[in-house]
Amino acid sequence: METANETIKQAPLLEARNLTKVYEDGVKALDNLNIKVMPGEIYAMLGGNGAGKTTTINIFLDFIQPTNGNAFINGIDSNSDPLEAKKNVAFVSENVQLYPNFTAMQNIDFFVRLGGKSNYKRSDYENALNRVGLQSEAFDKKLRDFSKGMRQKCGIAIAILKNAPAILLDEPTSGLDPKAGKEFTKLIGELRDEGKAILMSTHDIFRAKEISDHVGILNNGELVAQRTNAELKGVNLEQLYVEYMAGYMEETDQNLVLTNDLN
Amino acid sequence: MFKLIFIKELKEILQSSRFTISFAVCSLLIILSFFMGAQNYLAGKAQYEAAKQENYNQIAANTEWMSVNHSIMLPPQPLMALVTGISNDIGRDIEVRGRGELSAQNTRFNDEPIFAIFRFMDLEFIFGVILSLFAIIFAYDAINGEKVSGTLKLCFSNSVSRASFIAGKLAGSFAGLSVALIIPLLIGCALLPVLGVNLTGDEWLRLGLILISGLAYFGLFLALTIGISAMTNKPSNSFLIGLVVWIFAVLITPRASVLISGRMVEVPNVDEITSEKNRYRFQLFADDRPKMADFSVPEGTEPQQVMQEFSKYMSELSEERAKKTEIFEEKINEQYINKRRQQERLALSLSRISPASVFSIASTELAGTSLGLQNRYMDSAQDYQQVYNDFMTEKTGTGGMTGFRMIISTDDDSGEEPETIDASELPEFEFQKATLSSTASRSLLDLGLLILFNIVFFGGAFFAFLKYDLR
Repeated sequence: METANETIKQAPLLEARNLTKVYEDGVKALDNLNIKVMPGEIYAMLGGNGAGKTTTINIFLDFIQPTNGNAFINGIDSNSDPLEAKKNVAFVSENVQLYPNFTAMQNIDFFVRLGGKSNYKRSDYENALNRVGLQSEAFDKKLRDFSKGMRQKCGIAIAILKNAPAILLDEPTSGLDPKAGKEFTKLIGELRDEGKAILMSTHDIFRAKEISDHVGILNNGELVAQRTNAELKGVNLEQLYVEYMAGYMEETDQNLVLTNDLN
Repeated sequence: MFKLIFIKELKEILQSSRFTISFAVCSLLIILSFFMGAQNYLAGKAQYEAAKQENYNQIAANTEWMSVNHSIMLPPQPLMALVTGISNDIGRDIEVRGRGELSAQNTRFNDEPIFAIFRFMDLEFIFGVILSLFAIIFAYDAINGEKVSGTLKLCFSNSVSRASFIAGKLAGSFAGLSVALIIPLLIGCALLPVLGVNLTGDEWLRLGLILISGLAYFGLFLALTIGISAMTNKPSNSFLIGLVVWIFAVLITPRASVLISGRMVEVPNVDEITSEKNRYRFQLFADDRPKMADFSVPEGTEPQQVMQEFSKYMSELSEERAKKTEIFEEKINEQYINKRRQQERLALSLSRISPASVFSIASTELAGTSLGLQNRYMDSAQDYQQVYNDFMTEKTGTGGMTGFRMIISTDDDSGEEPETIDASELPEFEFQKATLSSTASRSLLDLGLLILFNIVFFGGAFFAFLKYDLR
């Protein structure tokens, strides 16, 4: 028999339930998406441009409303109670752009306070920045002089300091050099080990396979494949991804032929 | 949350290079306008005193009051130099006669025509034109710039309400940018007594209200621009829209409203009126000609008495004509003034759709340099004319240099120089400044409109952001 604690532990921290988004111009960005991310798990969403990865994250953050379905953060519907839901999530975007006239410390202080944490000291900020690997001499430099990698480190430091149970990452390693990408992957792994539920959208198949507990392939707003890390052992994920994309392409080609014939 | 965003916005503005440059430029312009205003006032005051003394000297050189030519001048006021309004456009000197129409001559531009082209860099110009443009430069990317850079998304990935975010941003932007204005404004105010311009309590209060209305004007442009930024996705678009709005508000609407009112209410020009008056005067004179020819005296009357009788007869005719002319001119003038005021009222009402016009009207009203200045000056001159007329009647038996006059001089064989008149007996001209209460009641509408514009634009920015696509 399950105990109450085990039930809580097994509840997903991030859940997309029958999530559908159709824009006003009729474009279907998401089609009945179902995803669950448990505590201590990383879920990687793979897919081409326009597959619906960022739309999913935008719905979780209440930047757009779903046409159907729900997005839950720690069991709270992010569209019906966004302020409460967002207390439980941290977000790192593809290209972290903080305030350029602020130093790293000032930016972190602002965003951490905005995240509801006001009891930190400078030493806490320094520890977080050390942890993400930002050189200490950059702590009090203005962000306008930072490289993308350095800004990304600040972004993840903010997420760490917010200490939310769930983390949303929107193509976090895009544009990072291999060393920075590797450091980032290591950090994400550490956060997973701390029990965070991480939903990550990415184009990076190899990193997704390396770090994720679940990989979902999205195509045209539809979750066309979903594999656990165990299922992916010995599987060429790139091949799998290409096959699904190719299947989609063939389908699209067929549709095009059909449309041409009709015309 | 509001406090956090407010402080962030404040810090971000104060640390930006855009602020540093704007602060330097604003400080320079504002302090310069106070300095130049003070210098202009002091120069104007010295010129006024010199002209007054010269007028006094010329009067004092006369030996009889009948020969006196007396002019009054518009005394310079410190606020006229800070918010010039129409003070440089109206005639400053009026030659006073006991009767007849008064006309103000010699505007400041007669002496310094260069200012007619380039105008003055007074507080109204700095707030109305420059600072409103600065508000656009500062705020055009307030919302969409954060969207483009991604900080908006990062902010709203937290438990932040849109209402507190935009309220904090609006308040923070206004507070941050006000610093760039308040510091040089305070320095400018402190500079006035140092430069020898001593304002009365009433004038300080007026200046304070002008500065507050200037800040309100700046605030409404700031809110308007933030609102535009919250309705567009690209900073380049919001800048362009802001600039177009600014051009319409500051440059086009005030001028267009004058043009439209000119077309809607036709006012005869001064030449037409003068011509009509002259026609009437000539007509009266022509009508009197047969009467003049009818003058006769009994035969055998002494030549001296003939002259006296003739003078008396002609004076009577002249007095009668003068009365008729006065009545006619009063009627014509009243019609003209009514038409002109109707046109002005329409122009002012139309122009009030632009906040720039509202600020101009409010600030010039408070400074005492609005359209009312000319009326007040002429009213004061007319009041003085009455006093002068009484004085001259007492001194000469006639009310000054009007009507028919015949001076008979006889040789004085005594060899003594005739005594000059005592010019200090002449009554002093006092310009009736508008009282603070009357100014306040007249500027209340425009101050209220400035507040209303602020509420509308702050509200507009607030509600635009509530619907803004944060992605």
